[in-house]
Amino acid sequence: MKVTVCIGSSCHLKGSRQVVEELQYLISESNLKDRIELSGTFCMGNCQNGVCVTVNEQLFSVQPSSAKGFFEREILARA
Amino acid sequence: MNNLCVDIGYRSINHFGEELCGDHIDVVEREDDTSVVVLADGLGSGVKASILSTLTSKIISTMVAAGLSIEDCVETIAATLPVCSVRGLAYSTFTVIRILENDKAEIIQYDNPHVILLRNGKNYDYHITEMSIDNKRIYKSYIQLQENDIFIAMSDGCPHAGIGATYNFGWKREEIVGFMETFSLVGYTAKTLSTILIDEVNKLYGNKPGDDATACTIRIRKREPMNLLLGPPYNRDDCDRMMSLFFSKEGKHIVCGGTTSSIAANYLGKKLVPSLEFVDKDVPPIAHIDGVDLVTEGVITINKALAYAKDYLADNGSFQNWGFKRDGASLICRLLFEEATDINFYVGRAINPAHQNPDLPINIHIKMNLVKELSECLKEMGKRIKVSYF
Repeated sequence: MKVTVCIGSSCHLKGSRQVVEELQYLISESNLKDRIELSGTFCMGNCQNGVCVTVNEQLFSVQPSSAKGFFEREILARA
Repeated sequence: MNNLCVDIGYRSINHFGEELCGDHIDVVEREDDTSVVVLADGLGSGVKASILSTLTSKIISTMVAAGLSIEDCVETIAATLPVCSVRGLAYSTFTVIRILENDKAEIIQYDNPHVILLRNGKNYDYHITEMSIDNKRIYKSYIQLQENDIFIAMSDGCPHAGIGATYNFGWKREEIVGFMETFSLVGYTAKTLSTILIDEVNKLYGNKPGDDATACTIRIRKREPMNLLLGPPYNRDDCDRMMSLFFSKEGKHIVCGGTTSSIAANYLGKKLVPSLEFVDKDVPPIAHIDGVDLVTEGVITINKALAYAKDYLADNGSFQNWGFKRDGASLICRLLFEEATDINFYVGRAINPAHQNPDLPINIHIKMNLVKELSECLKEMGKRIKVSYF
């Protein structure tokens, strides 16, 4: 599964660093490192709804506070 | 003509408890590749010393740059300086370094510690001629320049560092030479070398300098072009033109901005690979494109680099940050401050619709201002700057 987090200017200001760190932590904690490819990308053109995250091409809007719920709902459930 | 240029940087610390520095440096750089640097150390410390050294350095640099002889300069100073009421003397020491056509150096020294010349990382003893003007012993030298020559001029506050405390007789000139030799081949800028020396002096004084101390470094270096691309062009159709102009230029290439780097990657037919490493919590991660020396995010990174540039021009306190760290802003700073001498900015004026959100502290005016401020800072560092808008 491929998870991509936007690290462009706008998403950076909305907390993409915290989202990335939270996801990195959660992925390694659930031993999913070899099944999930976490990567970054520059602007996805959807800055109004940042932080932009895609899971297998499907676009989501995640805040640092909602990262854990997002992980459980959208990533853990599919992995 | 050769392809060498000079990099001049200096720093001072004040006598403990004084508001003003009694040492003064004046730099005159002329269009014809002639530079004159004067370091003057006024008698005593505080306001009196400051006036003496400011007058001395200003008078000498103006006269020498205009091609007048050193005898005339000394006479003028003797006739002009106000006499100190306590000591009955009008006195300021000085060191003059004149670089001619980036090819020859002329050094004139009066009562300051002798200028250090480091060549190929080692101390180089240059020839000195002694002469007497108005009963003042003045030393004169002519030196044929080589690439990577480093001249270090100091006021006596440097060799006096630590007298009676850390060292019995202060920090000897030979020891300063040995200390600076270690840093001479790393590629630090003149300003950074001066900062390293002055920081050490301050440490030896126990952060309470017993005298004003100044170091001025002149590095002879090759011209190094650098190109920085920021922002997509206002008109979409100009993308290819902008990219081909940018990539055809000699020197390293820096691409800043998310959309901008996608356009560059597309033009080169290479993949854009962002990294996920947050080296600095304030600076977004960098990315990689084959054929581009550095790819970073745009406005936030440049803003950070600008903050470093302003600090560099002040007391260079955050050198420890940008000099070593691996985040986008620090990498840009090292390329622009240390490596480059001629910088071409390619600035696109496209308005990013996502940035027009009133909640976000970034917009097109801020970007244009950043470029303006950054290029002014770089000019002050002695770089040649060209900005093209698209």
